[in-house]
Amino acid sequence: METFVSNSGFAATMLEHLDALSGYAMTLTRDRTEAEDLVQETYLRAVKAANQPAPQENPKAWLFVIMRNTWLNVMRHKQHGVQIFDDGTAAAIASDVTSNPHVVYLRKLEQELVREAIASLPVPHREIIVLRDIEGFSYHEIATVLNCPAGTVMSRLGRARGKLRDALSARQKVHRRIG
Amino acid sequence: MTNCENVRERLTLYLDNELQGDERALVEAHVESCDSCASFVEKELTFLNAIRTSGPLHVASPELKAKVSEIVGGAKEPVVRERSRRLKWMLPVAAALLVLLLPVVVWRIVRDGDHPENEAPSAFALKAAESHLKHIRGQLPLEITSSRPEEISEWFENKVNFHVKLPSYQETSGQEILYKLEGGRLVNFQNDYAAYVSYHMKDRPISLVITSELLAKPSGGEEIASRGLMFHYNAIDGLKVITWSDRGLTYALVSDLEERGHESCIVCHQGTKDQDFIEPLKRH
Repeated sequence: METFVSNSGFAATMLEHLDALSGYAMTLTRDRTEAEDLVQETYLRAVKAANQPAPQENPKAWLFVIMRNTWLNVMRHKQHGVQIFDDGTAAAIASDVTSNPHVVYLRKLEQELVREAIASLPVPHREIIVLRDIEGFSYHEIATVLNCPAGTVMSRLGRARGKLRDALSARQKVHRRIG
Repeated sequence: MTNCENVRERLTLYLDNELQGDERALVEAHVESCDSCASFVEKELTFLNAIRTSGPLHVASPELKAKVSEIVGGAKEPVVRERSRRLKWMLPVAAALLVLLLPVVVWRIVRDGDHPENEAPSAFALKAAESHLKHIRGQLPLEITSSRPEEISEWFENKVNFHVKLPSYQETSGQEILYKLEGGRLVNFQNDYAAYVSYHMKDRPISLVITSELLAKPSGGEEIASRGLMFHYNAIDGLKVITWSDRGLTYALVSDLEERGHESCIVCHQGTKDQDFIEPLKRH
């Protein structure tokens, strides 16, 4: 057994993922107070687990697994059920990376639309979109976090993106009417 | 796997970077030769990029950050059961660095003995050090290779949300050429692109990573003031990382050069007029 990072390095690595974990906590809870409690509980558990032999190859995925398991425990205590998926249809929006201030402003508006659309999705759809497309986890890592086969990740992701396309399409139509 | 039907089934995996090797090459070859699939890929990428650039969805409040810092501040060193794959890669490099840097490390420990422990490096400093190491290992190839600063600066136009203008001091100074510009690429930071620029000095690599000050505020490490700017010096994984903000941009300079790596500053400040700027970074 051997140590491989310093105390300050470990703390820095843990803190590096704080915003990502806060976002994931909001995805799961939809409530700021609950999300902040969940983040703190996750870090408390991570610190305890860090003193025992544990795989540290991917600290970010490890923290996400801890957070999800913590949340599932909370949910079990609250006796909440699991939400069901359904399918969606296609639409696309444009995105541009540029230094033109006007285009940057439009891009910000689009980002806001996308965030609203993601927030409107049911938790399981939102969760997998956040894990793959916001946090950039691979299918294998998502399968570890969600504790499901990688094949399931792909099918769930497909359904979630379909729902997101619908939600975005609806919001874009409203914006065009207002515009 | 050459017909559209077969390829379409794999395109989601392709766009999610889940295909490797021959499988990826086959899909790429088909997309390049098929207008219909190319159009599909373009639309999907537009959609996915819209999602992927919408983050972060949430930023932790300062209160939460303070509470979590308190929690992890009391953490002891984590222990691993086996050497990770990354560690296996790092060990030969770390061993070589240890031999090279041991006298410097010992000297620093002795010298820093009376100083309070510095704050942890910022996420941006860690990202810069990680990018530097990945580039050295060949895991982060350059997207543009050029020794001309203006060519690299132009390449970054419309790729990052800020203006990159690399200095070309050497070409006009007539001084001895001490460093060589190698090229640049984009790296991900906070769900956006940062500019990565690679240099070589005395056959040793130097990395400069640039992002918007809105995404990264220099923090942690040893603070050194010079010419109205505050520099943050960190030693990360045997590398010297200097971070600072100036006029809306945040920079991280990474090297394995001596002391604080201040020699790396000459990639922008080679002239004798700039010696007073670099001087505070040297140890006295």
